[in-house]
Amino acid sequence: MVSSVNNTLEQTEQQLKRKLRQQLKSIITPQAQRLHWALIAAVLATLLFIGQSWLLAQLFVGLLDSIHTGSELSAAFDLRHAIALTLCFTLRPIAQYIRERLSQAASFHARIQLRTRLLNTLSNLGPERQTLGSDGVLSTQLLEQVDALDGYISRYYVQLYLVLITPLLISVAAFYYSPLAAILMLMTAPLVPVFMILVGSAASRSSQQQMAAMSQLSGRFLDWVRGMPTLQHLKATALAQHDVDSSASQYRDTTMKVLRLAFLSGAVLELFSSLAIALVALYLGLGLLGILPWAKGITPVPYAGALFILLLAPEFYAPLRQLGSDYHAKAEAEGAIEELLPLLEQHTWQHPGQHPLLLEAAPAIRLENLSITAHNGRIRLPKTKLSIAAGERIGLYGESGSGKSSLLLALLGFIPYTGHILINQDSLLDLRRSDWHRQIGYLSQQPNFKRGSLADNLRLAHANATDSQLYQVLADVDLLSLVKKLPQGLDTPIGERGLGLSGGQLSRLAIAQLLLRDTQLWLLDEPTAHLDPDTSAKIHTLLEKLSRDKTLILVSHQWQGLHWLDRHLDLHELHTH
Amino acid sequence: MLKPIRLRSLLRSRQSSWNLALLLGALTLFSAIALLATSGWFITASAIAGLVISSSFTFDYFRPAALIRLFAIVRTAGRYGERLTSHHATLSLLKDLRSQVFQALTLNKNNSLKNTSSGATMHRLVADIDRLDRFPLQFLAPWIWSGLIVVLYILFAYWLQPQLALATSFGLLMAWIIIPTLGFIRGRKLAFHDVHTAEVRREHFLESLSLLTSLTLWHTWDQQQQDTLNADKDYQTQHHQQRQLISLLTLLQQLALALSLGGLLWVGVFLVNATLISVPWLLAAALALLGIHEALAPLASSFIGLGQSQAARDRINQLIQAQESTAQLKAHSDTPRPSAPFQLQTQQLSACIPGALNGPKHINIELHSGQVLIITGASGIGKTTLLKVLANTLAPNQGQYLINQRPATDWQLDECIGYLPQQFDIFDRSLASNLRLADPEATDEQLWQVLEDVALADWAKQQNGLDTALGEYGAQISGGQARRIALARLLLAQRPILLVDEPFAGLDSASSHQVLKALRQRQAQGILIIVSHHEMDTPDVQRLHLA
Repeated sequence: MVSSVNNTLEQTEQQLKRKLRQQLKSIITPQAQRLHWALIAAVLATLLFIGQSWLLAQLFVGLLDSIHTGSELSAAFDLRHAIALTLCFTLRPIAQYIRERLSQAASFHARIQLRTRLLNTLSNLGPERQTLGSDGVLSTQLLEQVDALDGYISRYYVQLYLVLITPLLISVAAFYYSPLAAILMLMTAPLVPVFMILVGSAASRSSQQQMAAMSQLSGRFLDWVRGMPTLQHLKATALAQHDVDSSASQYRDTTMKVLRLAFLSGAVLELFSSLAIALVALYLGLGLLGILPWAKGITPVPYAGALFILLLAPEFYAPLRQLGSDYHAKAEAEGAIEELLPLLEQHTWQHPGQHPLLLEAAPAIRLENLSITAHNGRIRLPKTKLSIAAGERIGLYGESGSGKSSLLLALLGFIPYTGHILINQDSLLDLRRSDWHRQIGYLSQQPNFKRGSLADNLRLAHANATDSQLYQVLADVDLLSLVKKLPQGLDTPIGERGLGLSGGQLSRLAIAQLLLRDTQLWLLDEPTAHLDPDTSAKIHTLLEKLSRDKTLILVSHQWQGLHWLDRHLDLHELHTH
Repeated sequence: MLKPIRLRSLLRSRQSSWNLALLLGALTLFSAIALLATSGWFITASAIAGLVISSSFTFDYFRPAALIRLFAIVRTAGRYGERLTSHHATLSLLKDLRSQVFQALTLNKNNSLKNTSSGATMHRLVADIDRLDRFPLQFLAPWIWSGLIVVLYILFAYWLQPQLALATSFGLLMAWIIIPTLGFIRGRKLAFHDVHTAEVRREHFLESLSLLTSLTLWHTWDQQQQDTLNADKDYQTQHHQQRQLISLLTLLQQLALALSLGGLLWVGVFLVNATLISVPWLLAAALALLGIHEALAPLASSFIGLGQSQAARDRINQLIQAQESTAQLKAHSDTPRPSAPFQLQTQQLSACIPGALNGPKHINIELHSGQVLIITGASGIGKTTLLKVLANTLAPNQGQYLINQRPATDWQLDECIGYLPQQFDIFDRSLASNLRLADPEATDEQLWQVLEDVALADWAKQQNGLDTALGEYGAQISGGQARRIALARLLLAQRPILLVDEPFAGLDSASSHQVLKALRQRQAQGILIIVSHHEMDTPDVQRLHLA
């Protein structure tokens, strides 16, 4: 039993991993060309390094010979060699520079593309995006999580190939002088993937743990800092200070425990590269002396080859060491993709209609056997039937979960449905959505404003509105006298989320935006949910005055001042089964 | 009392850990370079000895072989030790910084934190503290290490042959000082702009998302989306430029090192021919020069790290200084506390929150210990503003506010007034530890009693009792519950004058009466003022209806 549970857990984990890899790949694919050129530049740098090592070895062989056997230096190292050596020394850093620039550019473009794509997805989802998280969470995903892919694209991706190619190239070069040394090197090569796994899993686990603990600690500190006024008021600052101190010490101690292990894998790699140099040097040096226990009196590798191999040795494990320190980039990217997965896999639905629509008067709306099903098969709105006459104003009530929000989303053309929504005689699915939107005045629970002046915010709804039009709608919503009293009038700045105005005033301003659109149909989604009963009653009275001769659907919980509605309906009673 | 944070003094408190980390790091770098140089020297010397069969047996290979092993071990162990000690020191630094900044924030007495700085600022503060560790790790240590290594190398070259030192030092100094310093001005500027552009970008994204639905309906979303993506591009480009600068400096460094190596070999060949230097030593010098790259490479990004820490330091200090000046003002007035019985009085009091359009006008109140006042009125009329004045967190525009016949500002009211404001804080901890903030000594029975009083005991029993987790910002509880938890906490603090804003939100009429009754009982000896938009039908209270 237990093992089968474990198996399925493992399977789902593997499925998740596969999905993550696929997503990462699809993000990188458009930049594949840049990254391939970056890899080529990196391989070129390795080849130049091999050339440079060979030329240096030639120079010293020439020097040694010229001193001890009296031959000319130019026999082993002439002007052409000198030029080639200079070229190697100049071109190698340039090749590395090109690699960096190319992978940075790839990361830059990939992230901009991804962010554009995600923002498009969100705009297609419209209000439906709230099923994926609050706007705060979504914007963090769009910013931080997308940026977390940087290290993976700009460093890790190329390095992953390099870790295989570089040791291979170096072994091949060494083979020419000393098959034994090359074979020794290649025999350690299978260790490379083993160490990649070892370093990788240990590093990723510990870095994930560390990151989690770190963010937890930051969150706790932030929590205290934010609540400072309360702490001061309760005289509890000393308590909090003690917690800040002790949790930081505790964090340090637990993290050090984890790191002590994590750094071991790094130390092992360090040991390997040190040993590679030390052993190669001792083997070759003793061989040159002719005192190797198994090869007394003979020189297995001549000086030229010995020096060449010694010069190559440090680079053999260098890519792997680099990969070890870049590994957290991979863990970070996978974590980020996992966070983004719901958004990346979102099937956005496109409203299909193309027929133009022009409404001269308030429309009649009929819902016939309308039902809405979520992607996962959950029924969001059971079959519903409703007929609203032209110019009729109805109030809609429903418990949470009865599907009122889904109904409004379908009416706005943001989600697919089965059954029919008829606007006069036309099916909504046939109509062009932008034309339909032109006819709708939509008000949600939270009036939306941006930083800017009063006029700027009103003109969001109607960019070309004249000042007199603005004054007119302000008068309609009983805000004119207030605005006239303000020293800056229409240019008074209002903050983000309408800072500086009361809830009732913001609602009035949102209604003024609606009036500027001059539409025939109003869909109001709990416009007074955040207001106290007195204020919402006043807003309701105002709505009565302003929505005459329009078709109106108002979803609400509070019914004070709504006696003027033609009908009050419980959504539950409209379900037809 | 609190000094501003200075980067230089960051390391002083943990001097020994940092010293050890720096020493181990220097040893590691030195061993890595020496390992290469010794190995080169060894095989070349062996090759020379091997040319003459007789000398190969007299050649002392034990000492160089032992040195090679030693360097290999020191390099491995040194790296491990350096990483451990430097991480330990960094985490300790982080702890000290948090502690220090938190202490500075606690000294601010006038609760202005909430008004002057939003949650985003606090978020930035935490990120800034984390950013300060770049100063020792990315700036100081690389410069100390590279300086040591470069000086040692030049001394070594000078010891071999003065001409060699001369031939290599130009390229070395370029790579060590001149090229990284070239990046100083630009790198610092880019780093200082970093946080600002990031902030602009975040604001754009948040605003766009909140406006998304309306703008889609109004067909102006495309423009907004373009603006948002442009803000993103600005930030990315700025970030990209930092990376490009680092790459460019690295390239120049490598070329300078190549120049230095070229000089070494050029001069070296002549010196060898003149038998002023042996081939093994020249090779050792060349290999060491190749190894120096590892010590110099981190310098390319050091000034970006420096700029980021400096910018972070400036922002933190700004915050601390602002807090400090207000703290000093308050600390000077060593004021007395009022004592029971209390009398609370306002005369023709008017007040207005800065930026608000209206507020309470000409308010006259007189309350004595044991009395209750209920303030009612439509939202936006200024009930909360009035309560703020009574809590002594807002100065009146006109009129007088007296406690025991003296202006409220003349008293030290910290432990006298209990105030439940419109915005309060529930901490991401258990119910019990939230409550015990007010009274660390409170017994479980006392906690249950106070929960009973605010009509939360049944709810808490259904949850996890006193251990119920409240989540960040009390996310797992409703607004009304959070408000009553904050009220319960305030009751535990036992303040003689209690000012409560909307305690009955989300309660039915019966429970509201139960809570009111408990509040009156607890404040029987003190003063109780309640702001509510519910009409509470209860005897023996003063009422004030704002209109």
